[in-house]
Amino acid sequence: MSSPPPRKEYYRFDRFQRVEHLLLIVSFTTLAVTGLPQMYSLQPWASFLILGMGGIEFVRVLHRLAAVVLILGSILHFVALAYRLLVRRVALTLLPGWQDLRDGLQALGHNLGLVRQPPRMGRYNFGEKVEYWAVIWGTVVMVLTGFMLWNPIATTSLLPGAFIPAAKAAHGGEALLAVLSILTWHFYNVHVKRFNRSMFTGYISHAEMEEEHALELEAIEQGRAERGTDAAALRRRQRIFVPVAAAITGLLLVGLYFFVTYEQTAIATVPRQQVEVFVPATPVAEEVH
Amino acid sequence: MNVRNWGWIVGCVLLALWGSQPAAAQGQPPPPDAACRLCHADSAGTMALPSGELLHAQVDPAVLEQSVHGLESAEPVYCTDCHGPRQRYQYPHAPSDASDRAQYRADTALTCEQCHDTAAVHNPGHLQATTSSDLPNCVDCHGGHAVAPAAVLRADPVGSCQQCHQSYPDEQLSWVHAEVTANFGPGQSCETCHASVPPSEDALCQSCHSLLAGDLTLASGEKVSLHVNPADLVQSVHGEQVREGIPYTTLRCTDCHQEQARQGFPHPQPDAANRRQRTIALQQVCQECHLDVYESNAGGVHAQHLRDGQLEAATCTDCHGSHAIQEPDQPRERISQICGNCHAEIQSQYVGSVHGAALIGENNPDVPVCTDCHGSHAISDPTTAAFRLSSPRMCGQCHADAAVMDKYGISTDVFSSYVADFHGTTVTLFERQAPDEETNKAVCYDCHGVHNILPATAENSTIIKANLLATCQQCHPGANENFPDSWTSHFRPSLEHNPLVYWVDLFYAVVIPLTLSGFVLFIGSDLFRRVREHFQRQRKEPADV
Repeated sequence: MSSPPPRKEYYRFDRFQRVEHLLLIVSFTTLAVTGLPQMYSLQPWASFLILGMGGIEFVRVLHRLAAVVLILGSILHFVALAYRLLVRRVALTLLPGWQDLRDGLQALGHNLGLVRQPPRMGRYNFGEKVEYWAVIWGTVVMVLTGFMLWNPIATTSLLPGAFIPAAKAAHGGEALLAVLSILTWHFYNVHVKRFNRSMFTGYISHAEMEEEHALELEAIEQGRAERGTDAAALRRRQRIFVPVAAAITGLLLVGLYFFVTYEQTAIATVPRQQVEVFVPATPVAEEVH
Repeated sequence: MNVRNWGWIVGCVLLALWGSQPAAAQGQPPPPDAACRLCHADSAGTMALPSGELLHAQVDPAVLEQSVHGLESAEPVYCTDCHGPRQRYQYPHAPSDASDRAQYRADTALTCEQCHDTAAVHNPGHLQATTSSDLPNCVDCHGGHAVAPAAVLRADPVGSCQQCHQSYPDEQLSWVHAEVTANFGPGQSCETCHASVPPSEDALCQSCHSLLAGDLTLASGEKVSLHVNPADLVQSVHGEQVREGIPYTTLRCTDCHQEQARQGFPHPQPDAANRRQRTIALQQVCQECHLDVYESNAGGVHAQHLRDGQLEAATCTDCHGSHAIQEPDQPRERISQICGNCHAEIQSQYVGSVHGAALIGENNPDVPVCTDCHGSHAISDPTTAAFRLSSPRMCGQCHADAAVMDKYGISTDVFSSYVADFHGTTVTLFERQAPDEETNKAVCYDCHGVHNILPATAENSTIIKANLLATCQQCHPGANENFPDSWTSHFRPSLEHNPLVYWVDLFYAVVIPLTLSGFVLFIGSDLFRRVREHFQRQRKEPADV
């Protein structure tokens, strides 16, 4: 990463983005591994996994720890994104558009041999956009429904009780969708088709650029790549951004703390029905001696 | 022998007068002992025995006539039949061999054997009288000249025995006999027990204990009734019967009361200090026949408490009874009554429950009785985590069984919907993986009640809408009014019940396969192109070379 690449390679993800991705890997994997067995808890394989991970109550703790990491990662991403958009004013290269739909259809046509040329795509191609927005959507759904399940009393003080089982259904459905999407779309595109190292090394090869980001490559080659913002403007914007972002981050962290500690849903020990056990009947129903 | 001569002279004269009368004038021959009667009717003579005792010679002829051996009886007995041999009694009578009065009587009694087979009809104990002058002989009971027939003796059996048996060397013997003789029924007498043919051991036990009305007082001062109704045993499960093809005879008293069998009568004072200890000690014997049940019970909560010194814990007879043991489940509601003897408070709750009401009111065969949930002998401690964790499956045995529930229109989804929910999933996992750990997740009876379960529609039910919040708040103290609706009430999600869940499930049931098939199709097309391009390159490359 620090040593210059031997062949022509292009810097794609900065260190911060790669750390974000690492956080996501750790939290998502943990959430999937601790969550899916809960969803299918009575299947033998799930029971086995739960037992192996230390029992259902511990699995729940792990799941919530991973959820906290995911939310922290999300806050980090949100702040970083805001910085990139508001301070560095990078282009909105991840916004989906009609062109992405056309690219997708062209790629499909090309795969099937119906279209001669593959699509020439920008910094983020349609496949990556699908993934990114799926992660955004999924995280929002999972965090919201997760909050409901974590804090059902708080939730029902605002929403009807029926939202809790619905949240449970959505949490499971969305989880399954997310895991299956990662296992198919993500794994195929960045591991099976060709191992794309850029999210780990930061650099992408020329061939990959040609195939997947031809338009971005062209822009780089032609010197139309992003210009650096001038230092004065950067500092001016930072002066505004940093306190605002710190405040918002603080608020979000307070929200996370609230999320985690808001309510004690249930008491730790179920009260026992107290009943006097030995109470001889008077007179006894049946004399025995 | 010392004879007052004038007396014997008078007797001799009278005998001569009797002998001079012609036999034909009497119409029948005179009895062979006419001469004896003549002299002894009003003799004032006595005979002195070597011991110094005197025998009076007078015999009242009227007494002889009225006795069973009288001349008018079917087979009259003459003086010389008993006071033989005849030669000895020829006047003057030869001296008696007896050294004293008792021996004289004993010698005389021996002559009864000439006609009576005494061994066949008499108590063997008394027949030993011939070897000991302390014991009675025939005439002691039946009389000498005033011989009483057996019927007369039986009319007042106690009286004739009590001539000798007025007191007993043992206090227990004394009051037992007093009580038994006071309570004699028709046909009962001393002979009932002390028969010439010894009664069976059981009959001996029963003859006293069926008549005894008193109590045995234990060291603690507690009393144990000694009365036993033999019919109780005969009509009980221990009576004669054929069970599963095997014939059984009625259990004997001493099969269980083995200490009494060993020690006989009078019985030793029981070792047990109090009534309870005696009951518990007696249960040891049940295992001799019922070992499997006994061992199973030993692992149960009652036996555990007993071992821990809680003596009130139930043992065999507390539930089954002792002599009058009947099938404990005939009728079925008897089970709950038996348990209720000790668990009256729980029993009263149960009676008011949907299960108890159906059992007691309708003798419903489907509702659980105590033993269906708790077991009968190997009763597990219901306060343990293990019992709690396994309890939903226990309820599910009936409530997930359509064959039972359909009769009452009760949903069989209750178990599966519980297990599918957060509470049930956790409890099921705990049951499988950590059966002895406590969990705070609810089981069936946390919401529905334990012994006091009411129908889901009852006004006081813990789970109707009006009461559900309070029920939830037992574990979720902060729960608000909306909170109970977060429970799906055992309904499968549908448009009618839990529609929100239904729609969410439907959404993902469509979206997941749609998305995935889109991905897979695209991936498939990509693979297709790559494989195609790979072969195209292979074809081209050799041409280029």
